[in-house]
Amino acid sequence: MKESPDMQRLKALLRSSALVAGGFMGSDPRSFIEVIDADLAELRRLGYTNDQLAQRMQQITKLAIPGLGSRARIDDSKEARVQEAKGSLVCPWPHQRYYAKRITTVRDVGSAERIRWSDLNTHLTGQHGFFGGKGSMFRVEPREVVRTIFHV
Amino acid sequence: MFLAIVIAVAVVSSIGAGLAAVLVVSEHFFANYGPCSITINNEREFTANGGKDLLSTLTTEKIFIPSACGGRGTCGLCKLKVLEGAGPLLPTEEPYLEQDERESNVRLACQVKVRNDLRIEIPQELLAVREYTCKCTDITNLTHDMKQFRLELVEPKSIDYIPGQYVQLLTPAYEKSSEEVYRAYSISSDPADKGVIELIIRLVPGGICTTYCFEYLKVGDEVKVNGPYGDFRLSDTYAPVVFIAGGSGMAPIKCMLHHMKNTGNTRKTVYYFGANEPWELCLVDLMRKFEKELPDFRFVPVVCELKDSAVQACEVGLVTEAVSRDLENAEECEAYLCGSPGMIDAAIAVLKELGTADDRIFYDKFE
Repeated sequence: MKESPDMQRLKALLRSSALVAGGFMGSDPRSFIEVIDADLAELRRLGYTNDQLAQRMQQITKLAIPGLGSRARIDDSKEARVQEAKGSLVCPWPHQRYYAKRITTVRDVGSAERIRWSDLNTHLTGQHGFFGGKGSMFRVEPREVVRTIFHV
Repeated sequence: MFLAIVIAVAVVSSIGAGLAAVLVVSEHFFANYGPCSITINNEREFTANGGKDLLSTLTTEKIFIPSACGGRGTCGLCKLKVLEGAGPLLPTEEPYLEQDERESNVRLACQVKVRNDLRIEIPQELLAVREYTCKCTDITNLTHDMKQFRLELVEPKSIDYIPGQYVQLLTPAYEKSSEEVYRAYSISSDPADKGVIELIIRLVPGGICTTYCFEYLKVGDEVKVNGPYGDFRLSDTYAPVVFIAGGSGMAPIKCMLHHMKNTGNTRKTVYYFGANEPWELCLVDLMRKFEKELPDFRFVPVVCELKDSAVQACEVGLVTEAVSRDLENAEECEAYLCGSPGMIDAAIAVLKELGTADDRIFYDKFE
């Protein structure tokens, strides 16, 4: 299949480190389409959609923002913390979307398991079904996210 | 059959290669805008080869315009007036420009291509900005995710700045980043020590510059910064001062406290510094030293959780809650805030509720 210039640019951008250190694809040898397909299939097996995931991620971030960088209780089993840094993160897809450098860290109180995501991750998950390539610092594992944010 | 396929592939590949060659040659001729003259403030003129963006063209001429995003059009900081030659406003600039700025020809330097002669205006203070070559002489762990970097100036050997200002640190291309980028960091050092710049940097997971500083930058390495920039500074009134900061927001406040000590400033001052837990507080000993050295200074560390009350004397709760409980005569105070947008917005709301007027609240937001 022929690739549009936008698609070629996106592929290159996801592999490059122009937007984030180490790039969005990490050491994953698969194409980003394969990564998306595999992750969405995994989500379906778990009984969720990327939209549901993104909405819950956004909801948790919103609940944690008033904590001003400290841990806020989300429910009986989770606490979350939002940290902000200077600047913004740009979505690599060809639209002008940029997000505050805001990192949400969620901790399961019982297991002490932690996961974290940026506002850009939430957008990439919801809008593009993209969780990042294996080995990328920005990768969020669908199974881990589901386990941590949905299970009380 | 096989031969026909091979020939077809060869023909298609040749056509592709030919088109690519035409593109390269065309780009050389058509995207080469030749020498362009850039006139600054009707006083200074230089000639640059067209084709690059205005921000990097000016940087090549050692004229540094602040930019926190490395020229990607995402921070909106590199504003300057382009009076002639910029072409129409781009959609990438629109979100960052107010109506009055558009009417007075303000543009984002990183988005304006140098294609012809330009006439631009740059604030005088930015023309005083210099590039400094430094040597990293010390890296101190302040908390699990904050470090203090001591940079000794090599060339030029000294810097003048106003406490509260910031510099841009150049991150060279390295294993995890293919491009050079600049990031802005407030100066935390004692301004009396003109041969040194100290920066307090908090690790941003996946951040290009902070990853470089935390994982690659070593004592002895050469570092380039440019600056100083910014108008976050202590006023010269006698009003009581309230500082509110969190995390690496400590940096400009520390610099201001050094300055207050150096100049014998007698203003009544209180500093609320917020962290999650006691072990995330930093430079507490130095702040206690300031309490002894400054005539009327009080440091109030605030932590959200204090499991062991014997650890140190801290207020407990959010930093804004501590301000709300503790701050007296807020209506007389001038407030200086540095931290995340959320913290600053919450602090402004609390200060206003306590009676501090808008024009007495100054801040350096992490945006």
